[in-house]
Amino acid sequence: MRFIKASIATLFSLVVIFPIIYTISASFFTYADFTSIPAKLLPSSFYLENYVRAFAETSLARFLANSFVTATLGMLLRMGISIGAAYAFTFFTFKGRDVLFFVVIATMLLPSDALILANYSTIRTLGLTDTYLGIISTKLLSPTHIFMLRQYFKTMSREYREAALIEGCSDARFITTLLLPISKAVVITLGIHSFSNIFNDYLWPLLVTNKEGMRTVQVGLTMLGFSENLDYGPQFAAIALLMIPIVIAFIIMHSPIQNSVSSRFAGR
Amino acid sequence: MVFSYRPFLVTILNSFHTVSIMGERFKFVGLENYSRLFASQSFQDSLSNTLRFTLFFVPANMFLCLSAALLANRKGKLATLNQVFFFLPLAVGLSSSMMIFKMIFNPSLGIVNHLLGTSIQWFNNPKAAMALLVIAGVYLDFGFNFLLFHAALRNVPKDLIEVAQIEGASPFQTFRYLIFPLIGPTVVFVLITNIKDAMLISSPVLILTEGGPFRSTQTLVYQMYLEGFKSGNYAVGSSIATVVFLLTFSILLILMRLQRRRVYYQ
Repeated sequence: MRFIKASIATLFSLVVIFPIIYTISASFFTYADFTSIPAKLLPSSFYLENYVRAFAETSLARFLANSFVTATLGMLLRMGISIGAAYAFTFFTFKGRDVLFFVVIATMLLPSDALILANYSTIRTLGLTDTYLGIISTKLLSPTHIFMLRQYFKTMSREYREAALIEGCSDARFITTLLLPISKAVVITLGIHSFSNIFNDYLWPLLVTNKEGMRTVQVGLTMLGFSENLDYGPQFAAIALLMIPIVIAFIIMHSPIQNSVSSRFAGR
Repeated sequence: MVFSYRPFLVTILNSFHTVSIMGERFKFVGLENYSRLFASQSFQDSLSNTLRFTLFFVPANMFLCLSAALLANRKGKLATLNQVFFFLPLAVGLSSSMMIFKMIFNPSLGIVNHLLGTSIQWFNNPKAAMALLVIAGVYLDFGFNFLLFHAALRNVPKDLIEVAQIEGASPFQTFRYLIFPLIGPTVVFVLITNIKDAMLISSPVLILTEGGPFRSTQTLVYQMYLEGFKSGNYAVGSSIATVVFLLTFSILLILMRLQRRRVYYQ
């Protein structure tokens, strides 16, 4: 029984990662490897030309740079806003605080993909199409981040802050020297989540970027022009290049990733 | 605020007006946009395609992710390897995985038809294209949903399962009467997010099938994108967006009511 379960699981998991393995393998295929019959699973030689062409014939390097800049900038701003907002919602008392908090959290219910029409015309009126700011502007407010940070901040006693303030510590200093070091784990998890969220976004950057030089890698990847000409090698190479570092990071980090999900749900 | 409530209101407002390409409202036309929309064949196709996609995608995805989580819920090195493989699709971004799918499902050059020994026209046959979209949708959600189910299963106390087995419960009975009620909240959560994702599906359509063949995979949000950005038809696009809002909201409300009745938190 155990053996059957293990073999089915292994077979199933191999099917699941097949596209990943095949992409890495196919990035070394020559043109002849794709058309050979029967179809090949492994490359005939260690053929690096696809990687060279993926860079030489497209703006892939530029796309990657754009993605890193927008994702980093977006992540930093989003975390800054989220930490500030969560801090205010936890430690300050002001009129209408709970109503405002509800209003922020309720934005979770508005599906962002259905808002793109109106958001796009806002961005165009502001003249922000084809700018980094345009790409990240709709990503800056994250209700889930604010909610989760507030949940975490609430576990901390308010007396710490009061004691610190009496000793002459400012709010900004309290956040940077005490609050953030204590909540390092949550902040890092949310930061990584933000980064990958903005980095992987597709529909929004597709709309706000028209110039080739401003495209993010997710958008650029679908417009390299190789797959339309059935020239699959360089296309697979470009995908593999983007994918391999993240896959390796995931394999190394597999147990923290699993634990972060289970603790998020145990705490409900 | 500026990018969630304001556009939400603007979208609803626009849907009752005629709107210029620059996004200015001309005049109030009441429900005319909606009556035109509901009469058009294109919209009826989108609506039925979106519902059909949801109907296939949600059960398939729930079944596969839950089975994977149950199968991988063991101890040992091989089990860890299985688990890593199961959530690895999460590491591949949306556009990367859709480009991979586009190539491996190519009817003549793609590896999938070669391995299966078939010659399915994935992009030219309406049924196959819908099946491909469902497979792609499952692949995109698989990693994260697997992690959620896996985490829930890990929190089921081991001694309870042992007691059930000693008492002579079959594996199916153990699952049905012991494990399933305990992971109930996670199941409902995944179900709700899956339905929401399915109603809003657009990017995979955009990259993989572009709505074709013959609009057989044109979904609501994809049509909204077409009307709004390709045809410059802001008012119609906004009406579609409003329909999407209403549909998602009502389905989620119904589900949340059901959840309150059915799921027992400990």
